[in-house]
Amino acid sequence: MKLRPLIALVALAGLCLSVPAFAQFDADAAENVFKENDCHKCHHATKAKKGPSLKKIAAKYKEKKLDEKEAIKHMTAGQKVKLDDGKEEDHKIIDTKDVKVQTNVAKWMLSH
Amino acid sequence: MDQRTLMQGLSPLKMKVLAASVAAALTAGLAGCVGGPTRGADTTGIDWGKIPATKLVLFYPGKSSYEWLRDPAAHKGAASETARGDSCVSCHDDAKEEQRQGAKILRGNHPLEPIALPGKPGHVDMNIQAAYDDKNAYFRYQWKGANNVEYPYYRFDGKEWKVYGAPRLDKPVQEGKQPAIYETRLSMMVDDGKVPMFKEQGCWLTCHEGERDLNPATKEEVAANAAMKAYKKTDVRKYLPASRSNVSDWKTGKSPEEIAKIKAAGGFVDLIQWRGHRTNPVGGTDDGYVLEWRNFDAGKNHFASNMDTATKQPKFMFDAGKFGSKAVTADQVGKKDNFLIKGDNAVPFDPKAGWKEGDMLPRYALQPADASGSAADNKGFGTWKDGMWTVVVVRPLNLANPDDKALKAGGVYSVGFAIHDDNITTRGHYVSYAKTVGLGAKADIVAVKLP
Repeated sequence: MKLRPLIALVALAGLCLSVPAFAQFDADAAENVFKENDCHKCHHATKAKKGPSLKKIAAKYKEKKLDEKEAIKHMTAGQKVKLDDGKEEDHKIIDTKDVKVQTNVAKWMLSH
Repeated sequence: MDQRTLMQGLSPLKMKVLAASVAAALTAGLAGCVGGPTRGADTTGIDWGKIPATKLVLFYPGKSSYEWLRDPAAHKGAASETARGDSCVSCHDDAKEEQRQGAKILRGNHPLEPIALPGKPGHVDMNIQAAYDDKNAYFRYQWKGANNVEYPYYRFDGKEWKVYGAPRLDKPVQEGKQPAIYETRLSMMVDDGKVPMFKEQGCWLTCHEGERDLNPATKEEVAANAAMKAYKKTDVRKYLPASRSNVSDWKTGKSPEEIAKIKAAGGFVDLIQWRGHRTNPVGGTDDGYVLEWRNFDAGKNHFASNMDTATKQPKFMFDAGKFGSKAVTADQVGKKDNFLIKGDNAVPFDPKAGWKEGDMLPRYALQPADASGSAADNKGFGTWKDGMWTVVVVRPLNLANPDDKALKAGGVYSVGFAIHDDNITTRGHYVSYAKTVGLGAKADIVAVKLP
C-alpha cells in the first residue's frame, strides 16, 4: 500500500523526462499567431492545401532531425517554395520579429 | 384558411392581407412608434419554431474587390488560385474565419479599409430559416443590429431643397458636415449555376474597382465611356465579369446586344434586397439582377424618387392631417416612422405651403399601389425588437420573367448574403462566403417543404 505514492512519483518523473523539448509551448497563442498571419490558408493541420500539412511538415523535420530553428528560418526568410504545379513562390514572412513568439509557433507546428 | 394560404399566389385575397399589413404599419407609423410591433409584421402564418435554423457568420470585407483578389501584391499567395476559379473557402476554411478576417480589416490601418470605423464589429451572426410550398419560397433572417430605418432627406434651406444626411462612408459624413443616415438592408444574390465562378466566389464576382466607394470612377470618366453611355448609366455599380471584354476593367463594357445575349442565356445573378425604409413599410422587397450593372427588374419598384427634376422641388409632402405635419425636422429623425407613402399619408407637394428653412421631406416616396411587374415579385416583412431584426422575404416559385432566376422545388442554388447596417451602404456591409440553398434538396441551407 505504501509503495503506491512512490510508484506514482516515479511514473510522473518518467513522463516528464519523456516529454520532448519541442512540446513546451503555448498551443493557443501559437495557433492564434499562425491564423492571424493567414498561415492556415495554405497549411492545414492534417490535409494538404497549397502547402503541405503541419503533420507532414512535422514528420519531415523529425526524419531529417531538424528543429524549430529551421522552421523559424523558413517562416522569416521569405525563401522560394516549390508548389505542386511546379511553380515557385515567395513564402510569406510571419508578421513578428519576436523570437519567443516565432519559437512558440515553430514548436507548436512541429508538434503535429 | 390560415394566413400563409392567403399569401399564396397573386390573388386579391393576398393583396388584402398585404393591405392589412400596410395599414397596420401605417397606424404604427402615425402613432410615432419607431419599431412598433405591427410595421413589417410577418403575415405568412408559418410556425418558424418548427423550421430548422442555419447559423451563418457575415464579415466586413472592406475594399476586397474582384481586382484586389486577383492582385498578387495584395492577395498574397492566393491571386492565381482566385483567378483560376478556386473557391474562397478552399483557403478561408477556419471555423472562425469570418470573425478573424472582419476583425483584422476593421482593426485600423488595414489596406482594405482606409476609413476608421471605431467600434464597428468585424462580423455579424445571422440565423437563416427557409421553407417553401407550392407557390413561394420563404426566407427568415435574424440578426442583432440597430433599428436604422431612415433614408437621407431633402431639406429646404430657405431657397432650395438639398440632400440632408448620407451613408457613413460618404465624404460629407466623414468630414462631419452631414449626419450618417441610411436604411438597414438585407440582400441575397442567387444563381442557378449559369454564372461561372459564382458558386466558388459568390458576391465578390460583382464587386469591382470603379464602383461607388471602391476607388470610384468619376462622372466625367463614366460620361465619356461609350458602353456606359449605351447602358444609360451615370456611375459604375455591381457588374459581372462576363459583361466586360476585360473582366477587370469597367470601361470595357460589351455592347447592349451582347449583354442581351448573356442575359437570355441566364448569365446574370438575381439580387433580392429587403430595405428598412424603402420597401419594408409597404410589405415589399426589391427584385433586381446584376449583369452589366445593378439593375432593377422590369416594371415598377416599391419606391420612386421624390424629386421633380423639372421644378427641382419634391413631388410629395406629408398629409398633415394624417402624419401630424407636412414635413419633418432634423430633430425628429429616428424618432418617428418618417415613411412617405403614396395613397396614404402623401399628398402632392404644394410649393406655397409656407416652407421654412429646416423643413425636410423623404428623398423617396413609397408607392405600394404602383409597384408592378417583375420588379414587384418579392414581398418582405421586417420587425425590430430588443436589438434584433427579424426579416421574412417571400419569393414566388417558378418565375418565368427574363430577369429572374426561377426557384423550383428540388432545386439547389448558389447564394450570397449581405447585411447593411450602421447607416452605411456600398462596401460598408457584412457579407457571407458563397453558400447553397436547396428547396427540399441537400445544401448548406435546406428549405423545408411546408405541409
